[in-house]
Amino acid sequence: MENTQNKKKIWAFGTNQVVYAAIGAALYAVVTWAFNVWQIPGAGNVGIRPAIVIPMFFGIAFGPIVGFITGFVGNILADMLSGYGFWIWWDLGNGIIGLIPGLFSALIYKYNETKSILLGELSVILGSAVGMGVASLSELWVSGADMHTVIFANFLPAFLTNIIWGLILLPVLMIAYAAIVQRSGR
Amino acid sequence: MLVSWNYRYRNSPLDQIDPRARFIFSFAILFAATATWNPNILFGVFVLSVIWYSLGKLSWKDTKLGWMMISIMLFTMIVVNTIITGGGAGGVVPPGGQLVFPNGFKLFGRHLTFGLTVERLWFAVAQLMRILSISLVFIMIPYTMDSRAYGVTFSKLGLPDRLAYTMELSFRFIPTLARNFQVTLDAQRARGFELDAGRGNFVQKIRRVAPLIIPVTMNAIVSSEDIANAMDLRGFGQQKRTWLYELKFHWWDWAIIAFSALLLAAVLLLAFRFGMRLFSVPRWWYGLFA
Repeated sequence: MENTQNKKKIWAFGTNQVVYAAIGAALYAVVTWAFNVWQIPGAGNVGIRPAIVIPMFFGIAFGPIVGFITGFVGNILADMLSGYGFWIWWDLGNGIIGLIPGLFSALIYKYNETKSILLGELSVILGSAVGMGVASLSELWVSGADMHTVIFANFLPAFLTNIIWGLILLPVLMIAYAAIVQRSGR
Repeated sequence: MLVSWNYRYRNSPLDQIDPRARFIFSFAILFAATATWNPNILFGVFVLSVIWYSLGKLSWKDTKLGWMMISIMLFTMIVVNTIITGGGAGGVVPPGGQLVFPNGFKLFGRHLTFGLTVERLWFAVAQLMRILSISLVFIMIPYTMDSRAYGVTFSKLGLPDRLAYTMELSFRFIPTLARNFQVTLDAQRARGFELDAGRGNFVQKIRRVAPLIIPVTMNAIVSSEDIANAMDLRGFGQQKRTWLYELKFHWWDWAIIAFSALLLAAVLLLAFRFGMRLFSVPRWWYGLFA
């Protein structure tokens, strides 16, 4: 009953969302930068990023716009901190990784319920597939790589590492956030 | 943990160019380089990128990490996929062609055959020119553009104010969050937390990151409420935003924008109107393998 009465406005972008998105992006950048030592050599320079759970979680918690900015801007900042340059298509892919869980946020009210966690997990898989798919496919156009290279050197390493981190860490973050929501009465 | 931006003022020609003009030029290079496989056009775009890169006065030490990343990408795409397996040239290079080693070659006393063709080798060169052209103009951005300029640049390029300000604000939060991350890491280590301990299975190793990521993330979320309240109290978003860091176009910025537009128009015209879009091999290249 309560769920239908208080429908979430997932596309709102007020002061709170500006701050959440900025904090999310900065956090994603800092944690990515801190973990950047874990690289998979020879796999299209796809890093093992535990931080990838941050745009996913910010999407689930605060909606698609916050999720998108967290991933998109956070990846730009992380690459800037790490000295990797500016790769707009991969930034876009990271944005989508936050955007798609954000779309699921409309269905999630209690973050520690099994159903919510399962929806979160589904959004991790879909978000990573679409986000890394878009970013990897851009290499067809940018680098002139063929589909085989795109799938095996770009897409699969990024997609698999992202979903492993996301599937394991997102529920933990959701449960922790549920405690904060309950305590502060948000 | 000290966070430092890679940008520093180098008194280079690029420091005098408006960031908006720089982004427009960079995207013109991106679209020009990806519009064609014609060797002459690609070479022209590549030369322009090299000149642009040299304007930044960047040293190898500055950009070493970025180039290492690009080298890994180039190795995978060009050496492994185009030259060794030939997969990377699929769809662009027509099948067949002239073999580089028609009679095979000897290695460690063994006679080996290698299906590398002259055409595929040229494709590797073309691919190298294309990727390097794009990398040269984009890799330098963090080193040569003041981090204070991003918000205002994207705002002036048409991004909504709130989005541009979000970008600006995230720059501001980075040192604070990096400090929080370090404090949390130290506190957890004091409790016996070992991030890189070799024990446990794969999932346990991944879950080991949780005691670090959860407190940092939750603290950031809790503190963001206070920041949002403070911004609301100061009337955030009530009027059009002004920026402390002002951007001003000079005549040379307009010249760069006009040149970028002309370059892109010329490349698109040559590629799509005059049939110079598809892959071709210059005659002199065959001469090298005759």
